[in-house]
Amino acid sequence: MKETKTIAVCGKGGVGKTSITALIVKALSKYKDKKILAIDADPAIGLATALGVEVKKTVNDIRNNLIVSIEQKETTDKVDTLHKLDYEMFNALGQNKNIGFLAIGRPEDEGCYCQLNSFLKGIIEDMANNFDYVVIDGEAGIEQINRRVMKTVNYLIVVSDTSAKGINVANTIKHVAHDNKAVNYKSIGGILNRVDDERKITTLKTKLNIELLGWIPEDNLVHDFDFYSKSFIEFPDASMTYRVIEEILARIEN
Amino acid sequence: MEVLEKIIDDIHDFLQKKLPYKLSMVSGDLIWPSGEKRNIVLNDDMAVELGNPNMDSLSCIVWSEHANKIRSSHVSVVGPDIPESFGKSLPFGKIVLVAVKGFNEENTYDRYRDMEMIRYSIDLKGYMVRAVSQYQQEWSRISKEAFHKGFSFEILGKALIKEFLKRDYISAVEVIFVTSCSEDVKALKAITSDVRKVIQAMDKMVNELTLDCNGCDYREVCDEVVELKKMKIILVKKSKEVI
Repeated sequence: MKETKTIAVCGKGGVGKTSITALIVKALSKYKDKKILAIDADPAIGLATALGVEVKKTVNDIRNNLIVSIEQKETTDKVDTLHKLDYEMFNALGQNKNIGFLAIGRPEDEGCYCQLNSFLKGIIEDMANNFDYVVIDGEAGIEQINRRVMKTVNYLIVVSDTSAKGINVANTIKHVAHDNKAVNYKSIGGILNRVDDERKITTLKTKLNIELLGWIPEDNLVHDFDFYSKSFIEFPDASMTYRVIEEILARIEN
Repeated sequence: MEVLEKIIDDIHDFLQKKLPYKLSMVSGDLIWPSGEKRNIVLNDDMAVELGNPNMDSLSCIVWSEHANKIRSSHVSVVGPDIPESFGKSLPFGKIVLVAVKGFNEENTYDRYRDMEMIRYSIDLKGYMVRAVSQYQQEWSRISKEAFHKGFSFEILGKALIKEFLKRDYISAVEVIFVTSCSEDVKALKAITSDVRKVIQAMDKMVNELTLDCNGCDYREVCDEVVELKKMKIILVKKSKEVI
């Protein structure tokens, strides 16, 4: 069986991780014979717009519908429940060429449905095995990836802007991921985004406790794509930002 | 079960009315590569879609102890076959008729569940299936690559028959595919509605362990089907033994 490579992108809110995730998906989708699953684990569901896909249902909507059906005793058998969830999950999968898209949605409401959560995680992992690459747009709370999406990722990419807060959150993510083992990962690296002055890089490198994979300059085009809700799949190949993303991907692949 | 015998007759009557339809008898080895468990077919890669959630869909298994009622290893196709349907999303009906032996009150439910799971053992490159047993819905997709390599209902039917025949309690299998129109799928849903009731009654008995018939939605079908009554007596007996 072919191996699926998983990339999770995390960072403080507002540092541009959704745009970076979308550009990573764009770069991978150029391999026409590969299938990419993009997972939006950020409750804001910004990745759907960034990839130009429609979200019909989130994983959490499916979970909530199932809870209602369990409470009304419409669903009893575990195996049937698993296959029904798998059916619903495929129905919820947004699609754009060789890209599949799944939105996790808001964190669960109160109530203990641990078994159901573990079913859902199992189905997401099974679905992910059908793809060559899985790219997850995470949130600052890295443990959510482990709890709600999947146990193991190959590459954990932490994004920060040049602010002290952004760097602190990035370092905290590494600490929680590595020392607290919040998520199993094979390698970790950082991206500095919206760098307005190249000379800052040397100083920022010393503050960031993560190997720097690359840095992206302040880019008005990214801002425009965000502002006008344009799909990043259409982002120009020749742009500096996209070229950095391609270089980073080549680096982590080797 | 008598009720199922009648349904098999009704299904064959339905087919009779749909003449001429494609009928083939399958034999020999199945030559189609495995999907190696990677079976997702995305829109962009899809050649044919069957039973999309927005369309009529039916997937049903009907069994009989009378082998002569089953046209062994026959695959019928009412409506366009896959090679004639590029780019189409079609309503879909799939009925598997099975000649069985040794079914009794103790094993019928487990064997039915076992047969229900067979569709997930079908691992054919470029063929994706998703299903909700509860609603007898089946949604499948055939990739462009599989289409161009000649994937057809004969191949799918053969794979299904081969998988069913691996069970020692199954002696013959017949598969019927319907893609002609929503009305035909709806007609088959009506013909097989009692199968659904029997399954739901068994599900309720086994999974919910509510053996009190007062107010049960399936009382009517249990009263009518002798085998369900016997199954219930056994379950009541077992529950008393546990107490």
